[in-house]
Amino acid sequence: MIEMQDVWKEYGNGVAALSGISVRIAQGEFCYVVGPSGAGKSTFIKLMYREEKPTKGQIFVGGFNIERLRERQIPMMRRHIGVVFQDYKLLQPLTVYENVSFALEVIEASRKTIQKRVAEVLELVGLTEKANMLPRELSGGEQQRVGIARALVNKPSVIIADEPTGNLDPDNSWTIMKLFQRVNDRGTTIVMATHNRELVNSVRKRVIAIEQGRIVRDQERGEYGYED
Amino acid sequence: MKIRTVGRHAREGMRNLFRNGWMTFASISAVAVTLFILGGSILLSLNVQNISLNIESQLQINAYVSNVVPVKALPALEKRLAHLSGVRSVRFVSKVQALKQMKQILKSNADIMTGLGNPLPNAFILNAVNPQQTAAVAKEVQSTPGIESVQYGQSFLPKLLTIMNVARDAAVILIGGLLILGMFLISNTIRVTIFTRRREIEIMKLVGATNGFIRGPFFVEGTLMGLVGAAIPSVVLYELYRWIAQTVKLFPPFTLVPYPLVITHVVWVLVACGLFMGVWGSLFSMRRFLRV
Repeated sequence: MIEMQDVWKEYGNGVAALSGISVRIAQGEFCYVVGPSGAGKSTFIKLMYREEKPTKGQIFVGGFNIERLRERQIPMMRRHIGVVFQDYKLLQPLTVYENVSFALEVIEASRKTIQKRVAEVLELVGLTEKANMLPRELSGGEQQRVGIARALVNKPSVIIADEPTGNLDPDNSWTIMKLFQRVNDRGTTIVMATHNRELVNSVRKRVIAIEQGRIVRDQERGEYGYED
Repeated sequence: MKIRTVGRHAREGMRNLFRNGWMTFASISAVAVTLFILGGSILLSLNVQNISLNIESQLQINAYVSNVVPVKALPALEKRLAHLSGVRSVRFVSKVQALKQMKQILKSNADIMTGLGNPLPNAFILNAVNPQQTAAVAKEVQSTPGIESVQYGQSFLPKLLTIMNVARDAAVILIGGLLILGMFLISNTIRVTIFTRRREIEIMKLVGATNGFIRGPFFVEGTLMGLVGAAIPSVVLYELYRWIAQTVKLFPPFTLVPYPLVITHVVWVLVACGLFMGVWGSLFSMRRFLRV
């Protein structure tokens, strides 16, 4: 599903963010990415949806060779990936419904498909009642659920989440986590960068730990392993 | 691209125009003001050119033949004048013809000429290839044996030509400067609009929108702004020019280029410029935001 072969990433200022990462994540896996701030987690995540390009090495995501991708193929590849952010990235002037349907309109889905899919995912994240509200009328947890609904709406095979619970209290974090588990149960691969020790230690999944741009630990049903 | 998508772009573009009301207003004003001045300059320079052409075509050199030159030597003299460099045409006016013309001009007072015989000389009327060189040609004609004197509007001609050249050059520089200024204004205002919508573009890219799809509404916006920005000065200039053409009575060579023809051309130029500015402005200024 996701494969990296000896991936290096150096930014323009000469800072090496990743130094020789090789990893394979199978279809349907649930995988945490942990590590101290500035260790390279975000770069690792951004490479997967081609927000950043590797300096060296090869990356495959769902059959796409990310490194060889042409400019015009990037949108096609992103339609197979759902991305969830710490700050939700919702459009403030649009309602919950519009924020989700936006992702389908943009890929020119039919009106029928849009109505059906948006209703489905809003029900999945439990926001059917709040479809006509604006993001600022929602709590942080609810906003993140809108973000997840948007990521799910075009049936991606992978969900990539960068600190999805970073701005949320423990209760809301648990709601989001349960949601991810349900999505994962349906066969969607989930890669989640997180600082949330409690989540990682209670819901045991594969843990990839990155420090100073290298994978220092990769264990099934692993622990968070840091004190912060 | 699906028809529904085109509809969506049009709807979104329109909605964005209203959503960014002040920015839209600023952009349209910038286009309108620029194009108004551009249109005005074009009209002005067309008329200056028209007037100078009128005047230049009337710039002729009258070369009066000395009375001692026998009639049978006239064809040779004409040939010789025609071969001078810079001469476009030579026309002979005999003293008999000249007298006839004089009598026509004098009309009822023609009797004053009777008893004088024919005091008028034979003459050649010459035109220079380049009106700017009328003076030089006249000098050459003057030095041709058999020509007694030459007349070509010596006193007012150099000044007039200078004024016209300056006016023409100034118009060209003004137009060039305005176009650059206008584009700068537009791309700047649109860049600000796009900057406020960076987030929207970013999210569109992340959920897999193609660049073409993202450009769609901006394209519609730019086009509409350019068109409205061109329509305003077009209407104003049209009415203004018509009013001037009808109200101000002018005499040749100071006549206006006839208005229905020239104004239609100017309107097309303005619409084309408006479209170009709007489309270019919106697409160019969003280019770097598409590289996410």
